[in-house]
Amino acid sequence: MRWLFSFLVLALLGAVQALSSSGSRLLVVLEELAEKDKYSEFWDDLRGRSYTLSFESPKNDKLSIFKHGERAYDHLILFPPKTKGLGPSLTPKLLLEFLKKDGNVLLTLSADHPTPSAIVSLLLELDIHLPTDRNALVIDHFNYDTVSAGEKHDVLLVPAPKALRADVKNYFEVDGTIAVPRAVGQGLGNTTPHLAPILRAGSSAYSYNPKDEAEIVEDPFAVGEQLSLVSAMQARNSARFTVVGSVEMLQNEWFDAKIGAVGSKEQTTTANRAFAAKVSEWTFKETGVLKVGRLQHYLNEGKKNVNESAVGVPEHNPGIYRIKTDVSYTIEISEYTSTHLSPFVPPTADDVQLEFSMLSPFHRLSLTPLAQTANSTIFGTSFVLPDQHGIFNFRVNYKRPFLTSVDEKRQVTVRHFAHDEWPRSWNISAAWVWIGGIWVTVAGWIAFVALWLYSEGVEKGVKKTQ
Amino acid sequence: MRFFRSILPSLLVSGACVVSAASSWGFEDATLTVQSKGAGVGGGLKEKLSINSPLSKQVTLGATDTLKIFLTTTDGKKAKRPHQAFLTVTEQASGLEESFIFSVKDSGKGKVELTHKDIPTPLLLASEPLTASLVIASFGSSTPYRSKAFEITIERDQNAPIAAGEKPVRYGKLEEIHHIFRSDPKSPPKIITLVFTAAVLGALPVLFGVWLTLGANVNHISKALGSAPVSHALFFGSIVALEGIFFLYYTSWNLFQTLPAAAAVGSVAFLSGSRALSEVQERRLAGLR
Repeated sequence: MRWLFSFLVLALLGAVQALSSSGSRLLVVLEELAEKDKYSEFWDDLRGRSYTLSFESPKNDKLSIFKHGERAYDHLILFPPKTKGLGPSLTPKLLLEFLKKDGNVLLTLSADHPTPSAIVSLLLELDIHLPTDRNALVIDHFNYDTVSAGEKHDVLLVPAPKALRADVKNYFEVDGTIAVPRAVGQGLGNTTPHLAPILRAGSSAYSYNPKDEAEIVEDPFAVGEQLSLVSAMQARNSARFTVVGSVEMLQNEWFDAKIGAVGSKEQTTTANRAFAAKVSEWTFKETGVLKVGRLQHYLNEGKKNVNESAVGVPEHNPGIYRIKTDVSYTIEISEYTSTHLSPFVPPTADDVQLEFSMLSPFHRLSLTPLAQTANSTIFGTSFVLPDQHGIFNFRVNYKRPFLTSVDEKRQVTVRHFAHDEWPRSWNISAAWVWIGGIWVTVAGWIAFVALWLYSEGVEKGVKKTQ
Repeated sequence: MRFFRSILPSLLVSGACVVSAASSWGFEDATLTVQSKGAGVGGGLKEKLSINSPLSKQVTLGATDTLKIFLTTTDGKKAKRPHQAFLTVTEQASGLEESFIFSVKDSGKGKVELTHKDIPTPLLLASEPLTASLVIASFGSSTPYRSKAFEITIERDQNAPIAAGEKPVRYGKLEEIHHIFRSDPKSPPKIITLVFTAAVLGALPVLFGVWLTLGANVNHISKALGSAPVSHALFFGSIVALEGIFFLYYTSWNLFQTLPAAAAVGSVAFLSGSRALSEVQERRLAGLR
């Protein structure tokens, strides 16, 4: 039996060698297979990160991203079709189904051909808006590549993206300038927290339609930093969907193109290769993936018992606590970085927070990192349970842009004081009068019984006259 | 190059780069007017905008005012129509931006109109003056123009406040919550408690004293013990023991320890009590008490 088991383990080890935390089967859908050589360096990079690439044309009737109702691939790269759409096997509905089943999609757009309505409606489902003119492209008269687009200004030079906010990690930092040729700008809906721009256009950029607005731009779709050139959507199930506004930026030609910024005679090389790697790493869940290890909560009895061993022991957490007791909570969080799990360190302006809630949170506390193991950080805090009995949850709901969501709930009962847990009456000074009264009565009663039993009658005469 | 540097310092400041091109974008004959709805022609603010430096005067835009800018865009010295002619309004603190598009004719004559209706709500609610800059640029190698033109203060109508709108949901750190506990029950000052406890405890000696003055005594104890020693000792002892059981119940025992003990002591009291009390009756009948 044992040798069978070890064979099984070996086989499993073989299967989990991909760098992505969610699988290595990658399907590339592009219309003309001949075109794939233009992107060979990108494919080589992906193969170098141990993906198995399959190339299919959307026109292929047998193409299906599902097999027996399950995903046939883990990741999808979609190239912009030159025809009307992506065909019956890649309808928006099927692609959303693919996302629902935890598949990741990297969608590329190009301003060279009108964007098919199937893709526009797919993006609209995700609240990503494309220009109403299907031919629109983004230009910037201030930051363009003087080498290749001195006249048309349609090759944008964008500095490497900075962190979205002070409390968000930057997974797309590259060294150098990114060239974005002939991009389709995207507008991101403001209402959803699932969308985030990866690469924004410069403040002087705008989107225009080269056919209708050749002379002067009159009603641009979006202007400046509202234009997202590369945008990310992470669904509730942490499936990732990235829109790259310009498929050309992934071409070999642009991976090491010499570019010249406006106003400088020096020519530099683009950082497109590094940026494409960062974007695909993030999309295919090589970065920004969080994993929760051991989660503990226990009655704090003054001992410091943070267990720093990372051995996956089952949870033995109490199911019941009393109100107003001091409770400690620890949670172990790792971050997957390309090859291994490493300790998760949140940005300085951010904190992992614990909620102790019954319907609404009674406590919401920031967890502090207590210790680090080889591949995880142990966050924890201690607090006094509220003076309210009921069914409560320890909940860590850590959702942040670019990070997979963590939502860990542990239910506990919080009971009120048992009859013998209250302070004794002699500890309450107000009760002393009553306690004294009781014992005075007791002593008086015993004295009265003794008197009644053993007293000699006196003043008989008085008694008789009565 | 040098020539440009000397006459267009603002261009450099604004970050617009100087290319070794023959010409650069700009404008001339730019006028800015702010007109209230009620005011007649000629009323309101009228200023000339300069290509080199921003307007020193603050521009105020009231709720019913219309801001208009007329200008002629130029490429080099010639009037020409650019592809991009924007009036960009920026809130410096947040970096929020909105661009308003000039409608420019072939001759280069351009015009833009701005009222409260055109400005997005977050910019309307800005507390600091907004920075308005002019952006004029086009294809080709001419140097694009971008420079701060004036500062604009939004004057909101006090009678019709603008709702800020709901803040969209963004994932991030939330504010901490600390449960507010009900306050602990309080006892009165100890001195008051002690005074009243002393009064209660003092009642006992007072009671004994009163009994003594009335002639209370225990003279019959030897007589009682002489005639029924066992039953008297047991009866009185069981009454004291019952109080002892109550004391133990109060301090440490639970009900299941208390009840059997109380039952045992109670039956002893019942059995011995009938003997002891009949002895007391005998003494009464004998006229001794």
